[in-house]
Formats: sequence, structure tokens, C-alpha cells
Amino acid sequence: MDISVKGALVQNGMQAASYPPRSIHSMAWMAWIAAIVVIATLTRNPFYLGLMIAIAAFVRWRWTTQLALPQVALLSPLRFSLLVVASAALFNMAMVHTGSNVLFVLPSWIPLLGGAWTLEALVYGALNGVALVSLFLGFSVLNHATSVRSLLRLIPRAFYPAAVVTSIAVSFIPTTLQQIEQIREAQAVRGHRLRGVRSWLPLTIPLLEGGVERALQLAEAMTARGFASGAPVQKRWSQWLVLAGFVGVVVGWLLQIIWRQQEIGIALLVLGTLLVLAGLWRAGRRHPHTVYRAERWQLHDWLVVLGAGVAVVAYLLPWFERETLFYYPYPTLTWPLFDWRIGLATLGLLAPALS
Amino acid sequence: MIRFEHVTYTYPEAASPALNDLSLELPEGQLILVVGPSGAGKSTLLRCLNGLVPHFSGGMLRGAVRVGELDPVRATPRVLSRRVGFVFQDPEAQFVTEIVEDEIAFALENAAMAPQEMRVRVEETLDLLDLAPLRDRPIKTLSGGERQRVAIAAALALRPSILALDEPTSQLDPKSAEDVLNSLVRLNHDLGLTIILVEHRLERVLPYVDSILYLPDHGEPALFDDVRSIMGRVELAPPLVRLGKALGWRPLPLTIKEGLRFSRPWLAERNGTFLPRTQTGQAPAHRGAPFIRARGIRVRFGQQEALRGVDFDLWPGEIVVLMGRNGAGKTTLLRSLVGLVRPQAGVIHVAGQNIAGQDVAAICRKVGYLPQDPNTLLFAESVQEELKITLRNHQMKVEEERITALLQRLNLSHKADAYPRDLSVGERQRVALAAISVTEPGALLLDEPTRGLDYAAKHELERMLRKWRNEGMAILVVTHDVELAAAIADRVILMSQGEMIAQGSPASVLATSPLFAPQIARLFPETGWLTVEDVLGANGRCQD
Repeated sequence: MDISVKGALVQNGMQAASYPPRSIHSMAWMAWIAAIVVIATLTRNPFYLGLMIAIAAFVRWRWTTQLALPQVALLSPLRFSLLVVASAALFNMAMVHTGSNVLFVLPSWIPLLGGAWTLEALVYGALNGVALVSLFLGFSVLNHATSVRSLLRLIPRAFYPAAVVTSIAVSFIPTTLQQIEQIREAQAVRGHRLRGVRSWLPLTIPLLEGGVERALQLAEAMTARGFASGAPVQKRWSQWLVLAGFVGVVVGWLLQIIWRQQEIGIALLVLGTLLVLAGLWRAGRRHPHTVYRAERWQLHDWLVVLGAGVAVVAYLLPWFERETLFYYPYPTLTWPLFDWRIGLATLGLLAPALS
Repeated sequence: MIRFEHVTYTYPEAASPALNDLSLELPEGQLILVVGPSGAGKSTLLRCLNGLVPHFSGGMLRGAVRVGELDPVRATPRVLSRRVGFVFQDPEAQFVTEIVEDEIAFALENAAMAPQEMRVRVEETLDLLDLAPLRDRPIKTLSGGERQRVAIAAALALRPSILALDEPTSQLDPKSAEDVLNSLVRLNHDLGLTIILVEHRLERVLPYVDSILYLPDHGEPALFDDVRSIMGRVELAPPLVRLGKALGWRPLPLTIKEGLRFSRPWLAERNGTFLPRTQTGQAPAHRGAPFIRARGIRVRFGQQEALRGVDFDLWPGEIVVLMGRNGAGKTTLLRSLVGLVRPQAGVIHVAGQNIAGQDVAAICRKVGYLPQDPNTLLFAESVQEELKITLRNHQMKVEEERITALLQRLNLSHKADAYPRDLSVGERQRVALAAISVTEPGALLLDEPTRGLDYAAKHELERMLRKWRNEGMAILVVTHDVELAAAIADRVILMSQGEMIAQGSPASVLATSPLFAPQIARLFPETGWLTVEDVLGANGRCQD
């Protein structure tokens, strides 16, 4: 089966080039992005953050060149990143007035802004910005490498109809923008000039009617192709299971952290999770549905997960020089430390670029 | 076997039924064309087949519908989706996913088909419509004809035995339309698929169909028979059939090949002395300055060059028809003439003034522009109000007489107080036309004005455009409709890849084109005739 598909792809070489390689499983991508989120929230060490940004940028470059995607953006990623870093630094300087390297002092009668503006605050603010940029980069890779549809397939089957409807709603946004443009033009053609808020009124009526019309057409098309949104509701059992499960999880968690009842807490947590899963499974049976060309879990998917796992573990467990993570420039700016083992583990995030 | 027994259906809140006591029987395995005037219930009939009427639309249905052994009213559309595939008018509005393959798999996923089986099924469906090379493409990168084929494939994925299509070629250029129709014929021949097709452009589809279901306007019973006998009995007919009926050719020719058997001897009898076409008259000599003058227009969208140095003139008192494949740059040219697209190079003068510094509203006071979808224009409470709003927008005086006169002229007087969006397609289009022409512009630019119009509405439009032309208006029409071009054009321009590749009289440009030649030109090559009236006019005077 696999051979025939590959063969078809090679035959149509032209199309294969523009075809997303889909070679990394969406689950593996989820593990990768989770690692980036954890690291970006944990550390403020500029070395580690910088390393992670370099890695994410490299992965992004690999994927975008592979897909031959046109690089159309309102703001280039670089300019956007600089903007984020600069504004985060400015904000922090304006809000935090401690630190020994004073750059300048604003009179103290100015609310909030008044006081000493320090180099320490600037550095720490900029680092927060850098952490944000690394998150932004990570998600932009995800955006390029996976489609909404393949991410939707990770959603439990019980939510399938809702998920399809959501994905369609998302795809409606660009069409609606297009529609607004069309209507704006059509009104300009009739001599309509946009001045105040009231002059927008003529645009809303065709837009709303057009939107409803298109939604109805699509709903009709989906009905004609056997999409049953209103599947007959059988027993409410599954809903009760899910609800009971959630209650179990919440109570178990509270027991654990507030009343320090470790054993009962954990038992309730596990039981609750099981109940939720059982409920979802039951509900899922009401929506019989299969997946075309389900993504297959391959060797390099393990590599991606392993790489992400190694990175996260290195940052989470108290093994190495863990204090290097929590770089804190106050009260006096110091040179951040760097542990080569943590740095090395971070390289695990490179895995998607290698496959 | 499809059977309707005394079916009466009324849409919710509608005053009169859309289908009135309809009884009919359609056989299996045929390619059936459904024709009839606008509002005769053609789309409603299609929707009864898979239960969308009444399950999706609501309303009251009386009588019995049977599709094979199934009753679409009792069974749900979900059950019927395995029996009847459905392709809607607007291909854009029916796609659920982004990739061709996923779109075909959508119905199978919902039917919970086993993944192995699904792979085979998708593969087969791709082959049926020659879509294998496009399987991985995002749908939005496909051309109109390709999209329509994807829509057909998606409808066929569940292997229905009946395929229903609602005006599948109305938005396509002649070549893409032919591709789609050829695919349908092949499905009908190879799989024995029953195909039921609603289409207004008979000249396109007639050669492909086996039989016709004619739905008349009100009350009268529907007719179902083979193509020839229906064409002999009803008014709606493409030019070839109209000519055949007028000249008494028997059996009635349906294809150009059949027609040539009559037209050759007919012409030979008249010793090859033919009269030039008379009906629309020759284009008036271009006198004075053109109303619109464009020089060296270049437009580029990103990497793609939409217009590559186009020179264009439009004189008062002529109708120019602009034709070409989808994506040839026709609409872009139209839009740049009213300032909606600002060219990277070139100069455009309207009424002697350069439009570079003017805003769209100012230009459109002198040039009326009708976009492809007239619905985007309409928003007022009444037809009259639409016209008044345009006048107020332009800070012009609202004169009641002017409005009444224009409405009367467009045959809309009785609808002056109606809500524009409740009107029929043809009426809505005339309201839009009124809304842009109430400023009495010197030129009219129309983009695909015959889309979705039946023959009656089309003739009405032709008559109006000619009248305006004779009063000295400059008119430019972009269209795929070959017969419209033959009927109204004084001058035809063909565009391809952003350039004008041919222009001249309709006879010189259209008659020899393999794609754009109207039926009459194919029947009588080298005569310069384009319309039925040309032939009959010449005939009439020969006898004098």
C-alpha cells in the first residue's frame, strides 16, 4: 500500500514538491511544541533561550524551504521579534525601578513611570521578550508543518462534529474578509465613500445576508454528503461519566495540594481521569467515523519525541547546574552562567529538522 | 427509477408552492436535462431527490417521492447520500476541506468506511474524473473547471447511482464547461450512472443529453421525453434548434453535425449569394474621441502578470464584448478602468480626464460598473430606495421622474416598492443595473451579466443594452456566453494571458474560433452570420 502511494507521488513530481511532506506525526509535533513551551516558561537564561530560538528558526527554515511556501507576511518575522523584545524591555523598565545600574531618573511625582530606569530592568524585560519570541517561532513552525485538519484528528471522537464545525468556522474568516472587500468595492462603485461609523451600515446588510447564505449552502452540501450533525442522542450516561470524572480529578488535586492527602488524592486523580476517558469513549461511539490515511507513527516520530523529552527532562529535573536556568539580573547585572549539558540536551529539539 | 406522485411543495413562509401537483417518472441510466424558466422549481426538484427538501429546507410537502425503493421524505438525507450524489451551483460554497483528496474522503469518513477500503475508493474516484495529478493540491489553487470536477468526485465518493447537478457550468468558460460535460458523459456511459442536470445554457449541453424534463412556469404539467421531441414542443431552445424549427428541418437537428446536413444544401440553393448580417447593424464609425482610452496598462499581482501592456478604446455608441479563458485578465481590465485596481504602468482617460488621481466613487459617476455578483450591490429596503441612495451618494438631485422613467425602462415599475433581495435572479440583476446607471453615466461595464439568467431574462438584457447603445452609451461586456456575444457585439476582443490577441467585428473574430464560435457561425462558415436573425433576415430578403 505504502509503495503505491510513494510511486504516485514520484510520478507527479511537480505536485509532490508543493505537497506538505506530512512526514512527522501531529502527536510528535505536539510533544515538540510542549517542550518549547515548558522551556520558554522555565528559563530566563539568555544562552538557553538564544539557543532554542536558533534551533526553532533552523527547523522553521527547513520546513518552509521544503514546502516552497511563499513568504507573505505583514511584518517580517525578524521585525516582529525586535518589536516584541523592544516593547517588553520598555515595559519592564517603566514598571520596575530596582537595580544598581541606573540609566536615568524620572521625577517621582509621575505615577508608575517615575523613578530610576535601570539597565537590570531593561535586560530582564528584553529576556521576557526573547522568551515570547521563542514561543512565537515554535508555533509558527507548527503552523507551517501541520494542517488544521491533522490537528483536529487528535481531538477525541466525541467532539468530532464540533471539531469539524470549528474548522469550518475558522476557514470562514478569510472568506468573510474577502466578502467585506467585495462589498466595500461594490458600494464604492455606487459612489459610497466611507467616512464615519454610520457609513459602514450599508456594508453590514449584504455581509450578514451573504454570510448566512454561504453558511446555509455549506450546511446543505455537508448534509447531502452524509454529515450528520444532529446524531440521535441516546443515553446521557457518557455525559455523567465525564462530569463525575472531572469532579474526581478536581477533588483529588485539591486533596493533594491543600490537605496533603497524597494517596487518596492520587487515587482520585487516576480514577477521575479513567472516568473521563471512558465517558469520551462511550460518547465517541455515537459518531461512527473513520480517518482517511491516518498518520502513521514512524521511527523519526520517536526521534522527535525523544529529542523533546531529553530537552524537557534536562530542564525539569534537579540534576545538573539547575540554578543556571533562573538567571536574575537584579540587583546588579551579572554575566549569566551556562551549563554545557543543558545546552547539549536543548539540541534534542533539532530532531524535526533532521527527518 | 425516480417517481413523483402529485407532489406539491411549499417553502416555509412562501405564498405559492414551488412545485405544484407534479407527477413524473424518470428512468435509470440516462443523462437527463431539466429545463424551464426561472422559478419553475428546477432546483427544488433536485433537492427532493436526496431529501434536502423537506428535511433541510422545512416547508410543506404533499404527495409521494420515490428514489428506487427509498422514500426521501421518510429516510433522512444521510441515508439518501449513498444513493444520490449532489453538486451545487457554486463550487466555492460546497468544499469542506482544503486538499483535493481530503475533500473526496470527507463523505467516506462520515460513513465510517474502513481505512483500507477507503484508500481504494478514493483512488478509484480520482481516476474517474482524471484528478489523480491534482490529488495533493489545495483546492483554492485549482481552476474553475478543475474545482467543479473535484465537487463531482466528492459527490461520487459514496458510489451513488444517481448524480444531481445544479447548473454546474454556469461559471465556467466554454473549454472548462466542455471538460466537465465530457466527464459527465463518460460517467454515464461507463458506469450507467443516472445523471440529472439543471442548466440554462442549452447550446452547451444539448448534444450530450439523452432526454429532457421540461418544467413549465405554473400549473401546466411537466413534460418528459427524448431531446428531439421536447425541443420540438417548447419555446426554450438554442439557436441551432430555433433555426431548424423556423426553416422546417426534419428531423430537428441537435448537433452541429446534424445541422450541417441541412445547412449546406440550404445555402447551395441560394447560389452562395448571401447578405451581410443586418440585425445589430454594423458598428458605427468611430467618430471623435473615445469615451475611455487606456494605453500600456500593466497590472501585476505578486509574481503573476495579469495585464501586460494593454491598449484599449471604447467609443460612445458601441457594444464591445471581451472574451477569453478564465484568468485571461478580463475582469482585471474592467476593474482597472474604474480604479478598483491601480495599474503599475499605463494611463487611463475617462471622458478626457486621467483617472489616476480620482477615487472610485468619482470615476463611477461617469462609468457604471456591474460586478459579477449583483447581490453585493443591494442593501436598501426597496428598489426605489436603491436608486435614490446612489444619487445621494453622488450628491446628485433626487428627481422622482428620472427614477420612474428608469424603472419603467428596465421593466421594474411594478417592483418599485419590493425588497430587492426577494426578487428573482434576473430582476435583482436589473435592479443592480438600475442602481449603477441612474447617474446616467457615459459608459457601462458589465462583468458576466448573463450568469444564472434564463433565456427570457437574457433577451430582455440584450434588448436593453442595444437601446442604450443606440442612445450613444459606450458599453463593455465581459462574458463567457458565446451566443450573447453574437447577439449584441459591435466589436469583439479576445484576451489571453493578459494580452489582447484579437479584435474586430464579431464575424471576423468569433466565426473562426474553435472555442468561441456561435452555433450559427459553425453551421454557415464563411457567411459571416452569427445569429438566427442573420440567417432568417437574409432568407427573407432573398425571397423578395
